[in-house]
Amino acid sequence: MAAEAATQRAAGSTPILAVRGLARAFGGIRAVDECTFDVRPGLITGLIGPNGAGKTTVFNLITGFLKADRGSILLRGTELLGLPPHEVERRGVVRTFQHLRLWSKMTVLENVLLGCATPMGESVFSLFLRTAAVRAEDTRARERAMEVLEFFGLAGRRHQLAEDLAYPEQKLLSMARIFATDAPVMLLDEPASGLDGESLRRIVPLVRRLVAHGKTVLLIEHNMELIAELSDVVVFLHQGRVLAAGAPAAITRDPALTEIYFGV
Amino acid sequence: MTAYLAHYLVMVGIYAILAVSLNLLIGYSGIFSLAHAAIYGIGAYASALAALKLGLGFWGGLVVAAGVGAFASALVAIPSLRVAGDYYVVASFGLRVVVLAVCMNWTDLTNGHAGRPGIPRPNVFGWVIDEPFEYVILSVAFAALTYAVCWRLTNSAFGRVLQAIRDDEIAAQAMGKNVMQVKIVVACISSALGAMAGSLYAHYITYINPSSFALHESIFIASLVILGGSERLAGPIVGAFVLLAIPEALKFLAIPDTVAAPLRQVIYGALLVAFMLLRPEGLLGRARAQVRDGR
Amino acid sequence: MLGLPLALAVAGAIVAAAGSGLLIDRFIYQPLERRGALRTTLFIASLGLLILIENLLAIVFKPDPLRLEVGRLADAVRIGPVYLTWLHLVSVATAAFAYLGLMAFLKYSRWGQAMRAVSSSPEMARTVGIDLRRVHLLTYAVGSAISAPAGILLAMDVGADPYRGTTYVLLASVAVIMGGIGSIPGALLGALFLALLENLGVWKIASEWQSTISFGAFLIFIVLRPRGIFGRKIQSAEI
Repeated sequence: MAAEAATQRAAGSTPILAVRGLARAFGGIRAVDECTFDVRPGLITGLIGPNGAGKTTVFNLITGFLKADRGSILLRGTELLGLPPHEVERRGVVRTFQHLRLWSKMTVLENVLLGCATPMGESVFSLFLRTAAVRAEDTRARERAMEVLEFFGLAGRRHQLAEDLAYPEQKLLSMARIFATDAPVMLLDEPASGLDGESLRRIVPLVRRLVAHGKTVLLIEHNMELIAELSDVVVFLHQGRVLAAGAPAAITRDPALTEIYFGV
Repeated sequence: MTAYLAHYLVMVGIYAILAVSLNLLIGYSGIFSLAHAAIYGIGAYASALAALKLGLGFWGGLVVAAGVGAFASALVAIPSLRVAGDYYVVASFGLRVVVLAVCMNWTDLTNGHAGRPGIPRPNVFGWVIDEPFEYVILSVAFAALTYAVCWRLTNSAFGRVLQAIRDDEIAAQAMGKNVMQVKIVVACISSALGAMAGSLYAHYITYINPSSFALHESIFIASLVILGGSERLAGPIVGAFVLLAIPEALKFLAIPDTVAAPLRQVIYGALLVAFMLLRPEGLLGRARAQVRDGR
Repeated sequence: MLGLPLALAVAGAIVAAAGSGLLIDRFIYQPLERRGALRTTLFIASLGLLILIENLLAIVFKPDPLRLEVGRLADAVRIGPVYLTWLHLVSVATAAFAYLGLMAFLKYSRWGQAMRAVSSSPEMARTVGIDLRRVHLLTYAVGSAISAPAGILLAMDVGADPYRGTTYVLLASVAVIMGGIGSIPGALLGALFLALLENLGVWKIASEWQSTISFGAFLIFIVLRPRGIFGRKIQSAEI
């Protein structure tokens, strides 16, 4: 019900991220082929498909870690294709990684601080010549980092090294640091994988809270139930192509798609 | 005896500058450079030539040295850092070879093998530094300055970015950090400082020749960093104190000259291997199980 | 020094080289890898070994350059308009022999195939029962053994001293990178290309600048084609 209402809402608004005809081949294999879909603002879009469908490749293409052969990726009308990853982030798209890629030898607080805006502290020029301003910026960044940590329930662990956290908390940290960047579009690569029980149950309300804060979420997941429960819109990818896109109920119950998904 | 001790302290100061600045690259950014001796030499020659040919004093020479050093570093870093870090090692090695070739062969400029004597003493607001003790003060002052600069760099948002790049470069890019740019900036700063050390050296010995750029010099500076401990800023300083004391200690044993020099190197080599096997984090590092490069 | 006939000396050199490679791998590199050492740590250990061995050689054998008795090999041979010495011909023949021998070994022998398997995927190799440690040792032994003839030929051609090795290692690394890491034909091509470049360069530019030419070529190469001639595409890390 809520999902259908959301999809109806979705039908009207312009997409915040428009992927058109994206293609990328490796040798002879077309990992992504004529991939086209929309991500609408304020909604949770789920990207699903069998193993090897190209989901993480799509993430890599959108965020600039891979160069697409063809196609276009428009963020509010700005072309992202061809930009290096740090420029993509500056335009407003952030991502998590399947293998987390936390800065393990740095503390929880430092991991999040790296997401907070500290342009002066990162400029050598300002660092030596505008010490007062840099200090003020640092204070603001720390306040913001603490807010983010509170939001994710990690405040108590802020001085622990990232590598010393339990896995569920490491997953939270990987989301916390990209949340700190204020980027409007968050790409989550399998946020629930490796979680079970309590931590798994907490993922759905957490992602919903992100959206409530104005974020747009595109996520990859293998857990069909989770996708069905969480997403407003589902995009089904197979062999690099979009086979279907629409309400989760419709897609997850479609027998033809289920067959493809489970390879039966 | 005091002049002897003064010499030791001056050299410790100079090598401390070299090692601490190299640590910015090795310890904090994860870039392993073998070119630091070349930068050291470039600084020495640039400063010497500025003094001899352009008539600039010590301070002018210092600025010239820093500029030339940073420029040379950028020239090597920009192409090499675009590809995997291992390439930078070979490129930095190559830079040293080229600098050596230039020094040996561009004889108009550098007087080749024979080197250049007659470099003027530093002149600080009219106070000419020519007593050993005065040099100690100058050297230590510059070492402290270098330490302060590096401290400011590493204890800041910039320092965080450096460590993030070292720990996981891909994640740093995904979080909006322009990794290439940061690496080049750090390489330039490190080289500017290293070149300054060269300038100090030139005005101290008042004579330079190409022997400063032997590969062994690069490895020696790197070992100051590694053996002292690359995790702490002070690690390389401890390394300098300890490793520079070894040749002095050796002098007390009666060893024929032809054997003394290679023997010293044998000890360095053995120390490096032993430390890597037994205590890779260095004297000041925290003992920790090392994690395999996740690449 | 010992006055042994050349053939025996060559064999001895190869054995000594292979043996050193084996010892170094067995007692230093493998233990480090087992402890999960960083690549930098391994590299520094190798630098330490370089300095240690070079200077030990200098102490034991005196650092003066050594020139091997070349005898008849210095005689000239005329091929068309070009004058060569027998030594040159022997060098080329040795290189060809080493290259073809290595390629054959890798392709046809069991151990060679095992080496290729480990190179392409250590985990898979382990599951099919290949002893990784032995292959590792063998790789070092073979690699070290092949470098022995090069050292001998150099000693005959330009003389050898304990410190000369480093320059050649740099050149070899540049050649390997230009040819593409992981490709032996690439390494051969890279070396030929580099040698041609250096010698053509000497024709036009003074010989002292040889190393600058190599280094310059290296920089240009990594800007234009970092993976080298035959290298696999440089993948950014698994994302």
